[in-house]
Amino acid sequence: MTDQTSPIDRLAVSRRRFLQGTGLVGVSAFLAACGTSGTATQAPTTAPATPAGTAPESMAPASMTPEPSPTAQPTPSDVLNFANWPLYIDTDDNDPTKHASLEAFTAQYGTKVNYSEVINDNEEFFGTIKAPLQAGQDTGWDIVTLTQWMAARLVRLGWLEEFDKSVMPNYVANLEDAYVAPDFDPDNKYHAPWQGGMTGLGYDRKKTGDLTSVAALWDKKWAGQITYLTEMRDSVGLTLLKLGDDPAQVTDAQFADAIAEMKKAVDAGIVRQFTGNSYAEDLVSGDVVLAMAWSGDIIQKQLERASLRFTVPDEGALLWYDNLLIPKGAAHKYTAELYINFYYQPSIAAEVEAWVNYICPVKGAKDEMLKIDKDLANNPLIFPPADVTARLKKFRSLSEAEESSYNDQFSNLIGV
Amino acid sequence: MGVLIKRYRGAVPYLLLAPGILWLIVFYAYPALQILIASFWSGTLETGFTFSLSNWTTYTDALDRYQGQLLRSILYAGSASILTFLIAYPLAYTIAFRGGRYKNLLLFMIVAPFFTSFLLRTISWKIILGDTGILLGPLKDFGLLGEDFRVLATPVAVISGITYNFLPFMTLPIYVSIEKIDRRLVEAAQDLYAGPWRPGGTIAGLLIGGGLAGVLAYAFGWDHIGMIAAGAIAGTVIGTLFVSQSFLRVTLPLSLPGVFAGSLLVMIPAMGDYVNASLLGNPSTNMIGNVIQSRFLTNNDYPTASALSFMLMAMILVAVAIYGRILGTENLTSTRGL
Repeated sequence: MTDQTSPIDRLAVSRRRFLQGTGLVGVSAFLAACGTSGTATQAPTTAPATPAGTAPESMAPASMTPEPSPTAQPTPSDVLNFANWPLYIDTDDNDPTKHASLEAFTAQYGTKVNYSEVINDNEEFFGTIKAPLQAGQDTGWDIVTLTQWMAARLVRLGWLEEFDKSVMPNYVANLEDAYVAPDFDPDNKYHAPWQGGMTGLGYDRKKTGDLTSVAALWDKKWAGQITYLTEMRDSVGLTLLKLGDDPAQVTDAQFADAIAEMKKAVDAGIVRQFTGNSYAEDLVSGDVVLAMAWSGDIIQKQLERASLRFTVPDEGALLWYDNLLIPKGAAHKYTAELYINFYYQPSIAAEVEAWVNYICPVKGAKDEMLKIDKDLANNPLIFPPADVTARLKKFRSLSEAEESSYNDQFSNLIGV
Repeated sequence: MGVLIKRYRGAVPYLLLAPGILWLIVFYAYPALQILIASFWSGTLETGFTFSLSNWTTYTDALDRYQGQLLRSILYAGSASILTFLIAYPLAYTIAFRGGRYKNLLLFMIVAPFFTSFLLRTISWKIILGDTGILLGPLKDFGLLGEDFRVLATPVAVISGITYNFLPFMTLPIYVSIEKIDRRLVEAAQDLYAGPWRPGGTIAGLLIGGGLAGVLAYAFGWDHIGMIAAGAIAGTVIGTLFVSQSFLRVTLPLSLPGVFAGSLLVMIPAMGDYVNASLLGNPSTNMIGNVIQSRFLTNNDYPTASALSFMLMAMILVAVAIYGRILGTENLTSTRGL
C-alpha cells in the first residue's frame, strides 16, 4: 500500500513544477536552490536540446538561475516514480511488493523506487498523462513504460525528455541491435526498450500438428477455433506478412487489402473472436487451437498445457517492444536516467528476464542468464537466435491521420 | 427557538432531499451534461477538441454506422428480459407461496453467487460452456452433439450470460410483489368459481409461447419454425394445466408492479452491457456498449462515443416512459384491488 503516499508526493512535486511554469522566477529559483529533486542542476543539460515551442517551462529555471558551479554534480533523488504494466518485473514469491532488482538500485543510489503497476492499456494510460503534458506540467511519473507506437506518438508530440547519454554508458553499449534507430527515434535518445515480444502463431501442436505458415490462420479446417488479436498492428501486421507485404513499409492500399483479407476469414466464420490476452486461456482450455499469439504468453501457458507451441512463421513475425520513457517535465530525470543505465547491466536485465520471460533487449543478458537458469537462457523465444531475429518485422510508425483511419477500418472489421 | 423552528419548518423537506439531489447533480446531471457537450466536439485527442453545434451530424453519422449494434442491443436485452422473466416468475412464485420456512434460505441461494465479481461470473460461463467443457464435453462424447457444435462465441452465449447476470434483478422485485399478496384473495376467488382457465389459457399459452419463442429464435439465430412450434406447445401445456382463473384475476395483476420494476432493472443495464458480448460473443455479436467502449478507449473518438451514449440514454428514457404508460407506474404504488 505504498501507493497511498505516492500521490501526495506527486502532488507536491507537480505544484513545484507548476510554479516554475508560471514564470515566478524568484520562487522557482528559491525552490531550485533548496530542492532535492535535482531538476535545477539537470536543467542545463536538457535545455539546449529542448525543441522550440514545446514545454518551455523546463527551460525557465535553466535560463534564469545562475550557472551551477563546475563542481556541482547531479545527485540521485530520494524517490523515483516508475509506472509499469502488471507482472512485468522480477517479483518476490512471498511478497508481491518486493522486487530484488529495484532493491539493488536503492542499495546503490539510495533512491526509493515507487514502483506502480498502473498501466493496463496504452491508450488508457495515455489518457491519464495527456492533460499535464499538454499543459506543460509534470505528470508525476519519472519513468513510464509504453509500447513503441505510443512512444512514437509521444516523440511526435514532443512530450518526452531527451536522454543525457553521458550518464547512460550501459544503455549506449548494451542495447541489442534490433532495437537501434527505429523510425520514430533514429538517435535512440527518447526510448529505452524494457521488454520485447513477438506476435506469431500460437497453437496446440497435438491438434494442428506443426505449423510454419501464417496462412494457417485462414484454414477452414479449424473454423471457429481460431482467434485474432484486438491489437490492430498485430492482426494487420501478420496479415500483411501473409500477403507478402512488409509492415515496416505499409501503404494505405496494402492496409486496405489486409483488412479485406481478414474480413474473408471473419465472414467465413473462421475467426472465433478478436481477443486481448484471453486467447491464452482459450488455448489451454482447448476451445481455441490456433491463435495470433504473443510469445511470452505461450511460454507461460506451456506450464499448463505442454503441447502449446509458438512459431515464428516462414513469412515472418511482428516484433513489438515496451519502452522506458521519461515524460517531459519529469521531476527526477537524472535519477530516471541512472535507473535506465542500471537496468542495462546484463546481470540486472537477466534478473528481471528470468521472471518476465519476454525478449530481453540487453546485450550480454543471455550469458548472465546461463548462470541463473540454463533452460531460459537457451529458450529461443526469450533469446531468439539470429535466423529468427532476421525474420522479425516492425510495424512502421503512423502519422496521426493514418492512425485514426487505420484504427477506424480495423474497428469496422472487428464489429465495434 | 420555537420561532426559529416554525420559520424554517418549510426547509426541512429540502434539507432531507439535499443529499439525494447533490448526488444526482454530481454523479448524474453533471456527467450527462459533459457527455452532451462532448458529443458536439470535433477534433482529435492530440490536437484538442472544439465545440460547435454544427457537429450534430455526429449523431446521424453514428446512428447510420452503428444501427446494427444498436438494434442488436435492444434485441439481446429484450430477449434476456423475456428469459429472466420466464425463469424468475415461477421461481419467485414458488418461493413466495411454497417456500415455507426455507424462504430466506432460497432467496439467499439466488443472491449468493452475486457476491462475487461480475467479471468472474461471466468468465466462469466460458468454462461451463466450453466447447469440450463440463456441459458440452460429455454430450459430444456420447455423440448427442456434433463435434463442431458450440455455444461460446454465439448469440446464445451472450444472451445466456446477460440472463444469468441479471436474474436476481428480475427475481427479487417479483418475489416482493407476490409475497405481499393476501392469500385470502386467492381463496376468495376460488370460492367464487375461479377454476381452470379454459379455453382462454390454452389459446393465450399457444400465442404467447409461440410469440416469445419466435423472438428468441430470431435473437439466437436458430431455426424459427421449430422454435416457435416448441414454444407454442410449451405455452399450450402451461396455459391449459397451470394457469387458473384465480391466478389470472388475482395473483398476476397484483404481481405486475414487480414484473414492471424487474424488467426495467434487467433491460436498462443489459442494453449498455458490453462484458458479456466481449467475453462470450464473436465479432458479429457486439452490442452498442462494445462500440462505445472501443470508441472511447481505443479510437479516442470521444464525440461519437458521447453521441452514442446520449442516444442510448434518450432511447431508454422514451422506452421507459411508453412502457410506464402501458403497464402503468401507478401500479407500483396503488392498492387497487386490495
